Amino acid sequence: MLHTLESLESCNYDGMDMTVLERQAARLKWQQQYYVVQNNNPVPLSASSVPQSQGLIGSNLGSGQMVELKRPEVFLGTDDLQDFVNLPVSGPDFGESEKLDLVPPEAAADYCISRTFNCQMTTPNIAVMKEEREDVILEKIESTTGSGRVSFNKRKAEAVADHKSKDKRIRGEGESEVKTKCSTEISRNSSKENSKASEVQKPDYIHVRARRGQATDSHSLAERARRGKISNKMKCLQDLVPGCNKITGKAGMLDEIINYVQSLQRQVEFLSMKIAALNSSVELSVQNLPMKEFPAYVANFPAAAKLPEMAGLPCFQLNPLQKESVRFMLNESLHPPQTEGVARASVCITEQSLSSSSMTQLQPFSTWNMDPQGLYNMYNMGFH
Amino acid sequence: MKEQRRVYPMEPRTIMQTSFAKTYLNYLLPELANIGKPASSLSVDRYVDKEIEKTVRYEVDMALALSAQGFAWSHALEHKLRLNVNNNNQVGKSQSYLSHDGYRNTMPVNHEPATEKLEGNPKRSGTEAAAEEEERLTYLRKLIPGGSGEMMLDDEILLSELGSYVSCLELQVNVLRSVLQLN
Repeated sequence: MLHTLESLESCNYDGMDMTVLERQAARLKWQQQYYVVQNNNPVPLSASSVPQSQGLIGSNLGSGQMVELKRPEVFLGTDDLQDFVNLPVSGPDFGESEKLDLVPPEAAADYCISRTFNCQMTTPNIAVMKEEREDVILEKIESTTGSGRVSFNKRKAEAVADHKSKDKRIRGEGESEVKTKCSTEISRNSSKENSKASEVQKPDYIHVRARRGQATDSHSLAERARRGKISNKMKCLQDLVPGCNKITGKAGMLDEIINYVQSLQRQVEFLSMKIAALNSSVELSVQNLPMKEFPAYVANFPAAAKLPEMAGLPCFQLNPLQKESVRFMLNESLHPPQTEGVARASVCITEQSLSSSSMTQLQPFSTWNMDPQGLYNMYNMGFH
Repeated sequence: MKEQRRVYPMEPRTIMQTSFAKTYLNYLLPELANIGKPASSLSVDRYVDKEIEKTVRYEVDMALALSAQGFAWSHALEHKLRLNVNNNNQVGKSQSYLSHDGYRNTMPVNHEPATEKLEGNPKRSGTEAAAEEEERLTYLRKLIPGGSGEMMLDDEILLSELGSYVSCLELQVNVLRSVLQLN
């Protein structure tokens, strides 16, 4: 398999994306290492292991994007991904976000179909598999391009391209080569032949290449990838907005988001009016608290459990500017600049004050450690 | 003066919270102090109250925009606030950056039928659902500052910005509530 792909690279292809080949080569190098691992863990490639391997590949390729593969896992009911794969998953744990499956039912079923086929591809005879897949590929290409005579190498290349394009949903997350890898990996695994695979292949081969009923042109594939990203973001939003776990469907979610945003804005308005009222009548003073109690307060944030990691969520990545500003602010608290007009303070906010869900329990207090040079006095004076 | 210990938590989430709160209050409280001065000298009447309200609202929003730098909505919010200040310096009406208050109660919110339709009818025509979603997305664009700008035309970006906006709104509400609690 390796040699064929190397010969691929030497061939001249019209309209062939060279980056595909480059990626393929890099992937093969990775695969060599992977197969060392695989051979050390002789796990029978059952139905669940193929998705697992895909998960393995996916997590190696893209960070924090296992969600795309995990969801079908959940859908198929195979949950041994955790057992098989012991990879560090970067990004937040998407396990909780799986409660809402925003995958439309028909797409999931189609995915199921195609994956079922793949699952049949257990550790078979390499030659048999390869030839059958090549026949499949040849037929498919003939049907699409209408050309009768295609070279073997070109077939392979187009198979790669087809693989990548057909499963664009995964591709969009950088795991495009999953199915291709699956095939290459299985063909490389020299094991006993599985006759089942050969039986299932012939009638089902069309399903492998494209999901049933789905168009395969680049526009719809891009559209599908985009939809995948959007549903990903919707899941993140679902974690943010309280009480959305039961809501399924994009429109309902958007409704909830709208309501929540409106309620927050109304709250801000109300609070600012109260502050204005306060401002005109009462002095606005702040209390002081000893600094050593700060870590305890911070540790008790229930909001910390509720609010997502703003720096960690892949969907709301802090851009470098924000990270810089955060770092700057933290540095400031450590080494406050020695300028006069700057209020050097660290804020200590108790759990209750930062809990956005507990609206009625309000026992918070802010603490300021002010510059002993009297900025605190300045504030107090200013409010009189 | 004794050396300041490290007082920020190490988890990024709480770092974000406390740094947000710190920046927010760093900006807001001095501004409120500045507002307080003229109020004490003037007799309290409605006009002044409205002025104060408006100014406080402006400062509150500006504090939010400055505490959450790096997002498209915060940039748009800051921009809009500065524009508003320049335009409405003479006008005494209370104004927030949410200039579309009329929309608030006109948006139809039907949870049950919508979810039922979507769940019970998977073969429901995609265009209906898409139209509904589009309607809601445009409404969300009105809610978020800068939502009608060219940055937010992409749905993905809009959703990301929404997420950060919601988080920052929550933080802002908490900070404001804690400030009020002090008094």
